[in-house]
Amino acid sequence: MNINQIKMFASGTLTTLELTLVSMFIGTMLGLVLALGRISKIKAINRIVWTYVWFFRGTPLLLQIMIVYYGVPLILKDIFGRATALPMFIAGCLALILNTGAYLAEIFRAGIESIDKGQMEAAKALGMSYRQAMFKVIIPQTIKRLIPPYSNEFTMILKDSSLVSVIGLTELARQANQLANGTGNWVFLFYAAGVYLFLTTISTVIFNKLEKRYSVYL
Amino acid sequence: MIKVENVDKYFGKLHVLKNVDFHVDPGEVVCVIGPSGSGKSTLLRCLNHLERITNGKIYIGGELVDYRENDRDKMVIEHEKVVAMCGELGMVFQRFNLFPHKTAVENLMLAPMTVKKIDKATAREKAMDLLKMVGLSDKADEYPVRLSGGQQQRVAIARALAMEPKIMLFDEPTSALDPELVGEVLAVMKKLALSGMTMMVVTHEMGFAREVASRVVFMDEGVILEEAPPNEFFGNPKNERLKSFLKKMI
Ligand SMILES: Nc1ncnc2c1ncn2[C@@H]1O[C@H](COP(=O)(O)OP(=O)(O)OP(=O)(O)O)[C@@H](O)[C@H]1O
Ligand SMILES: [Mg+2]
Repeated sequence: MNINQIKMFASGTLTTLELTLVSMFIGTMLGLVLALGRISKIKAINRIVWTYVWFFRGTPLLLQIMIVYYGVPLILKDIFGRATALPMFIAGCLALILNTGAYLAEIFRAGIESIDKGQMEAAKALGMSYRQAMFKVIIPQTIKRLIPPYSNEFTMILKDSSLVSVIGLTELARQANQLANGTGNWVFLFYAAGVYLFLTTISTVIFNKLEKRYSVYL
Repeated sequence: MIKVENVDKYFGKLHVLKNVDFHVDPGEVVCVIGPSGSGKSTLLRCLNHLERITNGKIYIGGELVDYRENDRDKMVIEHEKVVAMCGELGMVFQRFNLFPHKTAVENLMLAPMTVKKIDKATAREKAMDLLKMVGLSDKADEYPVRLSGGQQQRVAIARALAMEPKIMLFDEPTSALDPELVGEVLAVMKKLALSGMTMMVVTHEMGFAREVASRVVFMDEGVILEEAPPNEFFGNPKNERLKSFLKKMI
């Protein structure tokens, strides 16, 4: 690899990392809100969230990316007569956020529901509101059990962020493919594989460490 | 202190509390006994809104806090009133329900800090005093899993006391404990009773009821069948079902 190729490779890796971290960060908040909506006693909210999760878990991420980047401008054009496309990176992130939000919502919901009912009752009997009980008592207890599935979802998004190459965003996989095609040297594809493996392994190690740290009270 | 008027509670079609009238005066220790499924827990849980009554009225400290007919509220209960009411009632559960992710002392500090916005140092100081009261100063920084059942229940009692309730509700506080651990919990409850705390205790510990209660109540199939001071209650029970229940207990 010459210096120029290394730079391109690094920038592709950076884009993949940015896509993953931004999507997971915002997606986590979305997932939490959706999970709370899913266990809410208000029927309408429940239904809406159920439908959302059903859609985003039941259709391919690739299609969702296309809808956000190509579909939304066309829809806007049909409604308002003017098409405005989102910047590529934003559209890519948005699709990943919407998708991971749906998966995380189910993970979080299962976590919250796995906590003994007595915990909410104890919190309420001490005068805490539903909100206070959720954020001070229930959710903190779910963290340890959520780490393995969350780690899993993180790895999925890290890998699946490569799908945004379909809208022309040059992240790691697309960059490697371009270099391989340009030079006729397939080794770039395996460099990319190496980088993905490095990143997924590191993230798994970090999440395992975190899980151990949360084990004190079990 | 507590007054319950004509309270009915249904779970679906199941009629669990049947026109219950009941009161607890300040400083009283009322023990409630009765067979399994008679509605003792439900009665306690209705008092602090863990369950909502179907019909009737509940007064806490003279304030009407619940008034319902056919599952509908006949009065608007302001949120502040419910919070104030929960502040007056402390509850101790059969299965302790300590917060496993918090140490003993943190279990005591959480509600005062969250609900009453008391600062950490003050909350901690108060919590340490209460742990001392239940004889667990040396366990302050242990997580609940590292404590025995009896110790957990004593922490749970202290946790309820940390909110400075005027009335303490106990739902079979010793039923989940190994027999050799029952004594230490009852000792703490007795200490609390002697300090003048108003208490309502659902229990199968007849010895405790005999010794500590100011009044004992027998409940069966959602009805209060007999209430009397312990001497009379155990010495001269009138209701037939109570008689056979007491025979079985001994
Ligand atoms: N949430 C609920 N939904 C439906 N039925 C319930 C519910 N809680 C209690 N019940 C029923 O109400 C009846 C009274 O229950 P409760 O727990 O008050 O009895 P108890 O006197 O406390 O019994 P125990 O001594 O076993 O604790 C039982 O038949 C029980 O099955
Ligand atoms: Mg019970």
